[in-house]
Amino acid sequence: MVTLHSDTDKYEERSCPPAIVDIFHGAIKDLIRNHLSETGQQWRDFVFEDSYELITEAAVTEIERRVVDGGYRYVASATISVDERPDAYIQITDADTSADDFSFEHEGAVVEAPEPSGKRRCGQGDNVVEYPANIAGIARYYRSIKDVMDGLTNGVPEGTIAIIDDSGGTLTAPILEQFHGVICAGGTVKSHLGILTREYGIPCLMNARVSGIRNGDRVEIEVSGPAKPMEAYQGDEDMSVRVWLLPV
Amino acid sequence: MRSENLSYAKLLETNNLIRTAGEETYFLGVTRTVQESKFFPVSAYIMLGYLNAFYRYPPLLRKIAAVMSPEALADRIRNSNSKIQSMGTNWCMINFYLLGREMAIDMGLIRPQDAAEDVVFVLDFWRRYQLAWRRESGHLTNKEAGHRSQVLPERRIQVYHADMYPCEEGDALHTAADKFLAAVSQYAVLVACESRVCMTNHGPYNLGHGRELLVRDFFDLAEGDLPWLDGVAEEVPFARLTVPTAVKDTHFYVVDDWGSFDSRPEYRASNICAVGLYTSDELTETQVPVGMGSREELTDMFEKYAEIFKNTTKNLWERFAGYSREQLMDAGALTYYSIIKDFAHVAGCYDVNDWMLIDERADRFRSLMNDEYGNALLGALFVPLSLSSQQFSEYEMMAHSNLPKRNYSPIPYSILSDGDYAPTVGDRPHPGVTYLPEKVDRYRTTQGVMGLAELNERVRDFTPALCGERFRYLDDAWVKYNYTSPLADEMYRIEQSFSQNLRNRGAGLSRDDVEQLSNIRGVAGKNKDMKS
Repeated sequence: MVTLHSDTDKYEERSCPPAIVDIFHGAIKDLIRNHLSETGQQWRDFVFEDSYELITEAAVTEIERRVVDGGYRYVASATISVDERPDAYIQITDADTSADDFSFEHEGAVVEAPEPSGKRRCGQGDNVVEYPANIAGIARYYRSIKDVMDGLTNGVPEGTIAIIDDSGGTLTAPILEQFHGVICAGGTVKSHLGILTREYGIPCLMNARVSGIRNGDRVEIEVSGPAKPMEAYQGDEDMSVRVWLLPV
Repeated sequence: MRSENLSYAKLLETNNLIRTAGEETYFLGVTRTVQESKFFPVSAYIMLGYLNAFYRYPPLLRKIAAVMSPEALADRIRNSNSKIQSMGTNWCMINFYLLGREMAIDMGLIRPQDAAEDVVFVLDFWRRYQLAWRRESGHLTNKEAGHRSQVLPERRIQVYHADMYPCEEGDALHTAADKFLAAVSQYAVLVACESRVCMTNHGPYNLGHGRELLVRDFFDLAEGDLPWLDGVAEEVPFARLTVPTAVKDTHFYVVDDWGSFDSRPEYRASNICAVGLYTSDELTETQVPVGMGSREELTDMFEKYAEIFKNTTKNLWERFAGYSREQLMDAGALTYYSIIKDFAHVAGCYDVNDWMLIDERADRFRSLMNDEYGNALLGALFVPLSLSSQQFSEYEMMAHSNLPKRNYSPIPYSILSDGDYAPTVGDRPHPGVTYLPEKVDRYRTTQGVMGLAELNERVRDFTPALCGERFRYLDDAWVKYNYTSPLADEMYRIEQSFSQNLRNRGAGLSRDDVEQLSNIRGVAGKNKDMKS
C-alpha cells in the first residue's frame, strides 16, 4: 500500500481531531491511498489533475452516506439542517417552544428561595451594558423561525423580555427592536446579539443560565449591574448579574 | 519540478507571513467569540467558503494583477469606502485562503509544498497591497500596529473632523443616529448571513478635547453583487456607507484585524458626540456627503434610512426564511469567499461567474458540510489546533499558548533542492455551482443603477484625480515639508471639494484650525487631555 505524505508525521500522535473530522478525512485519505496503490500514479500528476476524477462529488457523498448509514447522527446548529435531513441529525430538543409549560433548565443556574417581596432568583447572565435601573417584563421564548414569524405576523407584545438561545443576530432580526429586554442562553457580550442589542439600547444578558421561566412569567433582570468586559472572559471571571421571577 | 518563481528569499518571506497570520488567528480566536446561529449553518458555510478561496483566489488574483498591480489597486481606492480595506484584507483575505489550504492538507488532498507558487503569489499580492493601502501607517496589519487601524491620510480626517455635526444623548440627531446605526448594523449582519463581513471599523484618530474618531464602514447594502438582495433591496439608495463617529471620554485601545474594538471605559452610544454620513465607490473622486447640508437634514436622513433598512431587513429575512439549506450555504459561503471581490471591481474586471459560484473542486465536498463537521473543523483549525498538520516539535512554544502547535503548515524549503511539489491549482477557475437564483444584472452605484458591463467599463475609464500621477505618491510625510506648496494645496482642495467647512481651505490647516472651523468646536469630553 502506498503511504501518503501525512502517514509519516513525526508529531501526529499528539493530534486529537474531532471525531467527525477524523472519520471524513480518514476516509478521503483511504480513497487516495487505494487509488495510488492500484494505479501506481505519481503524486505530482495526481494532486491537481487526476484527483478531480477520483475524489468526485459522488465519491464524497458515498463516504458521507456510509457514516450516516452506520448510525452516526450529527449535532445540529441550524434548525433547517434537521428539518431537511431528520434522519442524519440528532433532533434539537424543543426547537419550537410555544408550549406554555416549556422552560430552560440550565445546569449552573443559581436558584434561590423567594425574597420577602416574593421575587425569586432563577438564574444569571453576563450584562452587555450597564443601565441606571433593572428592568422587568413578560418572558417569551423565541427559538425558531416559526417563533419569529409569529412575532412578525402578530406583533411582539409590549414589555416582552425575549428568551433566546441563539446568540446570532439574524434569527430575531426583524423583531429584535420590539423587545423590551433579552436573556440569551449563549454567546458572550461580543456576540452579534450582544452587539446589536447594545446598538438598539435594549437591555440584554448573554451567556445566561436560567431555570423555571415559562412563557408569560414576569421576570426582572439586573441590568443595573456591571457590564462584563472581554478581559473578564479571558480570565474566566464570573461577573454575572441576576435574573428573578416576579410574583404574579 | 523547479520554478524560477520560487526563491529561498521568497519562501522565507512567505513562511514569515504564514506564521504571523496564524498567530493572530489564534489570538483572535481566543479573544473573540465564535458565532453560531439557528438560522444559518454558519460554520459549515464558512468551511465551504474557505475551500472555495483555496481553489479560486490564485487564478482570480492573477487575473486582477494582469490588469492592475496591488499597489495601484490600493492607491485607486484610497479615497473611497471599499470592502478591501480594514477587515476584508487585514485578516480575511490571506486567512480564508490559508484556512482552506490547511483543510486541504488535513484532508490529505495536498501536501504543505503543493500549490507553493499559489501560496507565494497570494501572500505576496496581499503584502504589496497592504503596504500600499496602509502606507500612512506603515504597518501590514492592525496587529503589527499594536491593534489599531489608522490608515487615512490627514486630508480625509480633517474633512470628517470639520463637517461632523455635534449631538448629545437625547437630542434628535443623537437619537436618529443611534437608531440608524442599530438598523444598518442589524441589516448588515443579515446581508452577510450572520457574519460581520459587511461592516467594519477603523481608527481611532485623535480629535483632541477628549474625543476620538472611530470610522464605521458598511458594504454591499444595495442591489449589486449579492444575488439575495435582488428585488429585496430596491429601496436601499447606497451600496456603501461611511459613518464617522466622534466619541467622547472613550479610548479605543484595541481595533483589531476583525474590525472589533475594545475601549476604556466600555463603549456606550451615549458617548457619541458627533456624526457624519458619506457614500463612495469606484466611481467617486472621494467621499460624498449624504444629507450633510445641515444638522436637521442629517437627522432626517438617518431617520429615513433607518426605516428603509428596517423594512429591507424584514423582507430579506422572509426571503432567507424560505431558502433551502443549500441556498443558505451558498449565500454564506459566497459572502465569505467573495470578501475580496472588490479587487475585481477596482480593476474593472468583475465577473459574476468568478465571484458568485462555488468552484466544482470545492463543491464536491458539500455533502460533508454538515453542522457538526463545520463546527468541529472550524474550532479545531482556530484554537485547540488539534489537527495532525498543526502539531510540531515538543520544544516549540507557540505565541499566546506556549503549546507545540501552529495554525498553518509552512512551505518546506526542501522544494528548492528536490523540486518535489505541484506548483499551482491552475490558471483559471473550474466551472462553478450555485443553488441561488440567477444574478440579476442590476448594480446600484453612486452614479445610478447600471448593468455589469457598463459598470466595468465606467470604472476602467475613470481615474480619480488623487490617484493620478501628479498626486499618487504625495503622502503625509511629503505634506509635512511641502504643505505650503501649490501642489499640496491643490491636493487638499480636491479632498475638500464636498466639504461644507473646509472647501478651498487647502493644506495648511492644523487640527486646532480645523476645530475652529468645524461644527463641533466646543464639544469636549470631560478629560480634555485624554491621550490616544
